[in-house]
Amino acid sequence: MDIRPKVLVTKIGLDGHDRGSRVVAAHLRDAGMEVVYTPPWQKIEAVVKLAMEEDVDVIGVSSLATDHLIVPKLMAALRDAGLTDVVVIVGGIVPDADEQALLDVGVARVFHPGSPLDEISAYITEATARVRAARFPA
Amino acid sequence: MKRDATAVGAHARPDVALRLAAIRAGERAAIARAITAIENDIASARALSAALAADAGRAHVVGVTGPPGAGKSTLINALLAEFAARGRRIAVVAIDPSSPITGGAVLGDRVRMHAAGAAESVFIRSLASRGHAGGLAKATRRIVDLLDAAGFDAIVVETVGAGQSDVGIAALADTSVVVCPPGLGDDVQAIKAGILEIADVLVVNKGDQPAADRTEQELRDMLRLRAHRPGWAVRVLRTVATTGDGVPALVDALDAHATDAGRGRRLARAPAPPAATAVESRLRGFCAADPYQRLNALEFVESGPGTVTMRMRVAPQHLNFNGKCHGGAIFTLADSAFGVAANAYGVVAAGIDTHTTFQVAVSEGDVLTARSLEVSRNAKIAVYRVDVTRGDGTVVASFTGTVFMTRRPHQARPDDLRP
Ligand SMILES: Nc1nc2c(ncn2[C@@H]2O[C@H](COP(=O)(O)OP(=O)(O)O)[C@@H](O)[C@H]2O)c(=O)[nH]1
Ligand SMILES: [Mg+2]
Repeated sequence: MDIRPKVLVTKIGLDGHDRGSRVVAAHLRDAGMEVVYTPPWQKIEAVVKLAMEEDVDVIGVSSLATDHLIVPKLMAALRDAGLTDVVVIVGGIVPDADEQALLDVGVARVFHPGSPLDEISAYITEATARVRAARFPA
Repeated sequence: MKRDATAVGAHARPDVALRLAAIRAGERAAIARAITAIENDIASARALSAALAADAGRAHVVGVTGPPGAGKSTLINALLAEFAARGRRIAVVAIDPSSPITGGAVLGDRVRMHAAGAAESVFIRSLASRGHAGGLAKATRRIVDLLDAAGFDAIVVETVGAGQSDVGIAALADTSVVVCPPGLGDDVQAIKAGILEIADVLVVNKGDQPAADRTEQELRDMLRLRAHRPGWAVRVLRTVATTGDGVPALVDALDAHATDAGRGRRLARAPAPPAATAVESRLRGFCAADPYQRLNALEFVESGPGTVTMRMRVAPQHLNFNGKCHGGAIFTLADSAFGVAANAYGVVAAGIDTHTTFQVAVSEGDVLTARSLEVSRNAKIAVYRVDVTRGDGTVVASFTGTVFMTRRPHQARPDDLRP
C-alpha cells in the first residue's frame, strides 16, 4: 500500500499567530502529504468533527502562546469521540514544565521552536505507517 | 429484504457485515474510515462497495464545478445552511488538486464550509485528486455510492475547478451546477467550450459585484443561441454565496431538476447498441450527409460495436506548404471516425475534447485508415481512441476524443441534410 499521510494542521485557543502553522502546512504538502489546514481559533468540537470525517492520521496543533494548555481538553474530546488512534503532536512554544503534562494526556510528541521541518515530516511519515497498519490490518 | 443478502455474507466476513451496519446507520466514524479504505484501494473496501451497491440510487447527487475562486466552496456552505433549514442530511465531497510533482495537497475547501459544516446533519470529506483527470479523484464514484448507501438526502461534489476539463462530474452527478464568477473574460470561452454543455443550472455567483449583470446577460445570450433541446431548460441564477442571497432559489432549482431528470443517473446502464446492420446503414448515411467529409474525400469502410473505420487517399488538396499531408487532414479523418462511432446510439453525441499526436509524416498517394475504438462509456460521457495507419501498417497518428451524450435524438434524417 502506498501510504500518503493525511494531516490536520490547526490552532485552537485565542492566539491568532498562524505563521508557524502555515509554514508547517506548506512543508508537509511539499513533502507529499495531504494537508487539511484550518485558520486559528478552532473550537474543540470542530476539530474533533473534522478529524473524524477526514479520517486524518495525525493532528498537528500549533501553539505559540498559551494554547497548549487547552490541548488536554482536545485529547479528552478525541477520546470521548472514539478517536483514540489519531496521533496528536504539538509544535511551538511549550515550557518544559508543561511538556510532560501534554505527554501524560497522550500527546505523542512536542516539537520546539527550531525543530527542523524535515524532522517533523519524518516523524509524521513514521507515525502514519503505524496508524494505518493498525487501522487496516492486512 | 436487501439485508438478507448481507446476512449470508456475514458468515464469511463478520467485519464487513459490522461495518456495513454502521455505515447504513449513518455512523460518522465508520463512514469516514470506509472512505479512506476506498480512496486507498484497500482490499476489504471492495467487498464493502459491492455490498453497498444495492443501496445506491436514493440520494440526489449535485455536482458543483467552475473556475477556481468562483465561490464554489462558499456557495456550498450557503447551500448546506439552506438544506439544513429544510431538514435534510447532506454529505459533501470536495476535491482539490494534488501537486503533480510532490503528490502533496492542501485541502482548503472545507475551511470555507466551516460555518454550516459544524452541523450534525452535515458530513464533509476532502479528497486530493491524486493525478486523476477530469476534475475528480479516482475513487469519487465509489465514495458517492457509499455516502448514498449511508442515507444522506443529497451528496454535493465540488470538483477541482480546472475549468474546461472538469467534465467528469457530468457522468457522476444527477444535477450539474456550473458556478461563474462575474467578469469572466477569457473564462467565458472555457465555459462555452465544454462546461456549458454539462450545466443543468448556471449560477452567477458574487452577485454583489457590478460585473455580475453583464456576466448573467452573456450567459443568457449564450443559452439562447444554442439549439433548443427537449426536456429540462437550463436555468441561470444569481447568488451571493457570502450572504446566502439567491440560495433558496438555487435549492428550488436543484429540487426541480431532480424531479425532472431523476436521481441515481450515474447508475443507469448505457443504452445497448441497436442491431449491427441497421446501425451501419445509419452511420453510412451520416457520412454521406456530411459536407466536410465529402470535401476531404473521406470514405466510410465499416462499423462494428463501438468502432468505425474510415479511409482517405492523400491527394494534392490534403498537402501543406511542405508538400506533406496537412495535420488538419489527418485530424479530420480521425475526428470523423470518432464522431461517427459516437453517434451510433441514437442521440446526438457532442464532441467536447480531443487530443492528437502525429508520429510520422505522410505523403501524397498514401492511403490512411482511421479506426475508432470505444474506450469507455456511460449514460453521459464516452471516450474513444483512434489510430490512423498508413498502407504499410505504420501508425502515423494517435487520437483520443471525448463526447458528451446529449439526450437529443438526431433530428433530421441524414438524407434531409443533403444539399
Ligand atoms: N463578494 C463576494 N465574494 C465571494 C462570494 N462567494 C465567494 N466569495 C469569495 O471568493 C473567494 C473564493 O471563494 P471559494 O469559495 O474558495 O471559491 P472556489 O475556489 O470556487 O471554491 C473567497 O474569498 C470568498 O469569500 C460572493 O458571493 N461575493
Ligand atoms: Mg473550493
